[in-house]
Amino acid sequence: MKICNLLASAFTVLSFSLAIPFTATADVAGTLIIAENETPENLDPANATNSTVNQLLVGVYDALVQFKAGETSVSPQLATDWQVSDDGLQYTFKIRSDVKFHDGSSMTSADVVFTLDRLQAASAAVLNDMGPFKSAEAIDDYTVKMTLEAPFGPFISALSRIYIVSKAQVEPHMSDDNGRGWLAVNAAGSGPYSVSTYKPTEVVTLNAFEGYWGGWDGDHVAEVVFRYIAEPSTQLALLKSGEVHIAPDITVQDKLSLMDADGFRVDIGAAATPLYFQFNTSSDGLVGDASFRKMLAQTFDRKLHLDYVLQGFGTMPDGPLPPDWMGHSTSTELPFNMAAAKELVDQNGWAGSTLKVRYLPAIEEEQAAVEQLQSNLSQLGIKLEAEGMTWPAQAATVQDLDTTSDINMIYNFPSFPDPHAILNTSFNSQNTGYNGGYNWAQYSNSEVDALLNQAASSADQSERATLYAKAQQMIGAEYPVITVSLPGSVVAMSSAVKGYRYSVAHHQTFNYMDISVD
Amino acid sequence: MKSFLNLTFFVKSPFEKLALGIVFFIILISIFGDFIVPYDPTQIDFRGKLQPPSLEHPLGQDGAGRDVLSRVLSGARLTVLSTFTVIFVVLVIGCTIGIFSAFAGGWIDNILMRIADIWLGFPPLILALGFAAALGASLEAAIWALIFSWWPNYARLSRMITLDILSKPFIAGAEVLGVPLWRKVTFYVLPNAFDVLIIQVALDVSAVMLSISGLSFIGVGAQIPAPEWGSMIADGRAHMSTAWWVVVFPGLAIFFSALSFNVVGDALRRELDPLIRRV
Amino acid sequence: MHYFFQRFVFSLLSLFILTLITFLLSQVVPGDPAIVAAGPNAGAEKIELLRSEMGLDKPLTQQFLIYVGKLAQGDLGKSWFTHQPILEDLIRELPPSLELVIIAMVINLVISLPLGLCSARYNDTRFDSLVRLFAMIGAGLPIFWTALILQNVIGGELQLLPIAGRLSFEYRAFEGYTGFFLLDGLILGRLDVFFDALKHLILPAFSLSLLFTAVGLRITRTAMISEFQKDYVLLARTKAASEPRIMFKHVFPNGAPPSLTVFGMQFGWMLGATVLVEEIYGRPGIGRYAVKAVTQSDIHAVVAVVLVVGIVFLLANLVVDLLLYILNPRGRMDK
Repeated sequence: MKICNLLASAFTVLSFSLAIPFTATADVAGTLIIAENETPENLDPANATNSTVNQLLVGVYDALVQFKAGETSVSPQLATDWQVSDDGLQYTFKIRSDVKFHDGSSMTSADVVFTLDRLQAASAAVLNDMGPFKSAEAIDDYTVKMTLEAPFGPFISALSRIYIVSKAQVEPHMSDDNGRGWLAVNAAGSGPYSVSTYKPTEVVTLNAFEGYWGGWDGDHVAEVVFRYIAEPSTQLALLKSGEVHIAPDITVQDKLSLMDADGFRVDIGAAATPLYFQFNTSSDGLVGDASFRKMLAQTFDRKLHLDYVLQGFGTMPDGPLPPDWMGHSTSTELPFNMAAAKELVDQNGWAGSTLKVRYLPAIEEEQAAVEQLQSNLSQLGIKLEAEGMTWPAQAATVQDLDTTSDINMIYNFPSFPDPHAILNTSFNSQNTGYNGGYNWAQYSNSEVDALLNQAASSADQSERATLYAKAQQMIGAEYPVITVSLPGSVVAMSSAVKGYRYSVAHHQTFNYMDISVD
Repeated sequence: MKSFLNLTFFVKSPFEKLALGIVFFIILISIFGDFIVPYDPTQIDFRGKLQPPSLEHPLGQDGAGRDVLSRVLSGARLTVLSTFTVIFVVLVIGCTIGIFSAFAGGWIDNILMRIADIWLGFPPLILALGFAAALGASLEAAIWALIFSWWPNYARLSRMITLDILSKPFIAGAEVLGVPLWRKVTFYVLPNAFDVLIIQVALDVSAVMLSISGLSFIGVGAQIPAPEWGSMIADGRAHMSTAWWVVVFPGLAIFFSALSFNVVGDALRRELDPLIRRV
Repeated sequence: MHYFFQRFVFSLLSLFILTLITFLLSQVVPGDPAIVAAGPNAGAEKIELLRSEMGLDKPLTQQFLIYVGKLAQGDLGKSWFTHQPILEDLIRELPPSLELVIIAMVINLVISLPLGLCSARYNDTRFDSLVRLFAMIGAGLPIFWTALILQNVIGGELQLLPIAGRLSFEYRAFEGYTGFFLLDGLILGRLDVFFDALKHLILPAFSLSLLFTAVGLRITRTAMISEFQKDYVLLARTKAASEPRIMFKHVFPNGAPPSLTVFGMQFGWMLGATVLVEEIYGRPGIGRYAVKAVTQSDIHAVVAVVLVVGIVFLLANLVVDLLLYILNPRGRMDK
């Protein structure tokens, strides 16, 4: 009897969503198949900071505003326009009245308020970028007012990662976990595509949603399939045999060889995702000592990494911000200089010490960077132990100062192209790992915090630029990180794919809603 | 006893002699490997990334430009050292439990052996995985995990031998003379158990070796830049289509070591078994 | 009947020890289990709440009782990674793995039994040496390495068999009743699905079975050799019974039982070894799930896998024991 029950429930799990038949018009046809190496944790928009989750949701949900692929400023999406109060504390949005969710219900301001309330109750990771956001309330059916604790310059940009869910669909499933369990495997959006199959270890299928409020002008695919293939070599084989159209995770070597091959295209997007070695600045050990970090800061050869590991796909980093960004300050990090590092080691008798670094071995360049650092440090007589992990496990270790390792490798994927999304995320003490953020250097400097907060609340771009430049210099003087690289986003695809554009605000996602396949 | 005068008495065919040769070679390079490797096995050289086998690098270079030959040779030490650590600790723990169980008898013996029975059949890799999950990924954790799942083999074996010896008439004689327990163990049980245990060890070496490399392969064993054979294969698999040498050579190293230890263990068993039966 | 009862009690006892092991495993997590369970970005309040929810403030024996109580209700806890009950995850992941192990077992039996029998019959001939060499080689090959090489050569270079997945891409929408695609293909009359699933199983199943086949072959051979030396064989030969008749009618049925016990145990070991092949062949399953759970420090999921594999192991052994009991009336009397 037990077995019968098990089988029955297995059946319901497997068949919770049946394919929605879509009467394809002439220009919505075909299937786009995307390979991905990491399986998604879940479908919950609360986890949209994670790119593996976000790459599925980006066309399933809409936000009030959105960065279109290839653009660096926001456009209205569900909101039509908005007003900001003079003190910068209140935002009033007019929202569209013609939006239908995938379940057929119409969107009103109640859905927007419900979405934000749920995210707050669930203390969702996406809210980390929302600065001093306080609350949302519905003024009427199509007007929403949002209140902030303090002025926050990039607030509109930050809203692009707040995906609006259907209250009618989610509310019955809130239970005691704020709907996390339900939304983990179900979608409740209004975007152009809906989730039709969710088998997170194998395949996720999205189907074009016929009733999409934005209409279906131009060429699109009727179906988008994400296939989870951990092996880079398998991804390559499937790309070559035509079984996948986009293979983002093949080795750099293979990407290089595909550049000249017939039938393939390699797109190089100007990404702005700094990869760091973050030193645990709050440690009681050696890395807690700024002079020790000064030594470490000079032991990594960024040029070698760019030329040989990234094969030239990327920008030579000069501090955490991309050099062409507003507010960038030059030479805030020390250059590679083994002789200077050696001198510091000799002076202080640091030879013989042991450090630990945690990193993600699934990311080729992270492992290569760790090996580079290990090799250089061993020349100085310092042993660097490495521990390879997966993302959630590594993220769990920095929640507590005691379990934070001396060095952590981490990518910063800014949620929107603004210095705030890099500097505040990586260096504000509010965002330390033990506060649930991505400042895994556990770096805390009240003056830096003040500068970052001041810059965030200002609307004057030149004033912000000055403040950010000053913050970078102060951060640089304490050596909390080595900015290892600013890699380009190199994506290999079949030349049948038309319309792919790199999206700087949604790094490691694909604008599948704009793509067609020949 | 004459057989022990010649330590290689048990290998008969040329095939077995070759296997014994490989075993000696592996043990030798695991001791002296670091002095004979042509390059530093952890020294990266990105300029030589994934270069195919050549005169300077007979087995090619890996994804970080390290010399594969040096890594394979220096990996022998890691593999041999961790394998023998597992076997040695398991031997000590297992035999202690087994001999204790045999001497204790009664319900203690019953319960201990019941636990060992259940443990013995349990998939070692999964149990090791559970243990590694609890300890965090490192070669030490993998070693502990295997110790944790391997001890019952030796507990059962040593208990059987002990019971066998305890039933012998000379023990009854020793009983009369009032020989203390520790003397019974060290003078009667251990020497007699030696043959049986050595066969079991020889046969287990390859299984432990394969398990350690398997755990490293799935990422819960040795960590970079350690030249552990399993993790070298894991590292190389992304490059397999363009650089087969980074996967093939460490795999051959595991294969030949495991095979040689197996052949030698088998030969040992064949030659010692009749001796044991005569005890 | 007494024997049956004894086996049953032994299995129950095993189950108890198994739960004890898995419980202890979940206790040795370094650091605070509440933090681990809470997952990233949890915050102190949530961790505090979880601590009392998980009963971590209670004494160990009481925690064990809570644990067993939950197990009895089929509650294996929640994966903090997928946010889903672990039981549901495992129900989804178990059929693909069992399918793989069953096919691997079939390969194992089809090779081991006849080859073991023949090499025992022609003991110490060239044929026997060849079989033994094969067994030696099989026992030395690392499963994951064989899997990679076969995948790249047979799947990649020669393109004879698929390199990854459970089904070809065109069948991605296929849904069955049982989760066993071979079975579902037959039930639904979809022979195309059946053969496609089978094609995808050959390489992983063969890589998985090789090591076990080598052991199975040796065990079978040894058992058969001692059977050939028994008096009744000599007697049959003097009575001029035909050699095939002796082999298949007498030696095989009498010599097989001891190796069957080993094959029963191998079933569980193979299920454990799926951790080495599923990831390589991009197949969903309990092995890949376990590896993923380990690298994500999802300790409850890992412990649940240990428990479930242990239960499958116990069941497989119980089935083999009962099979032997039914097949072998002499054994019944011996007991």
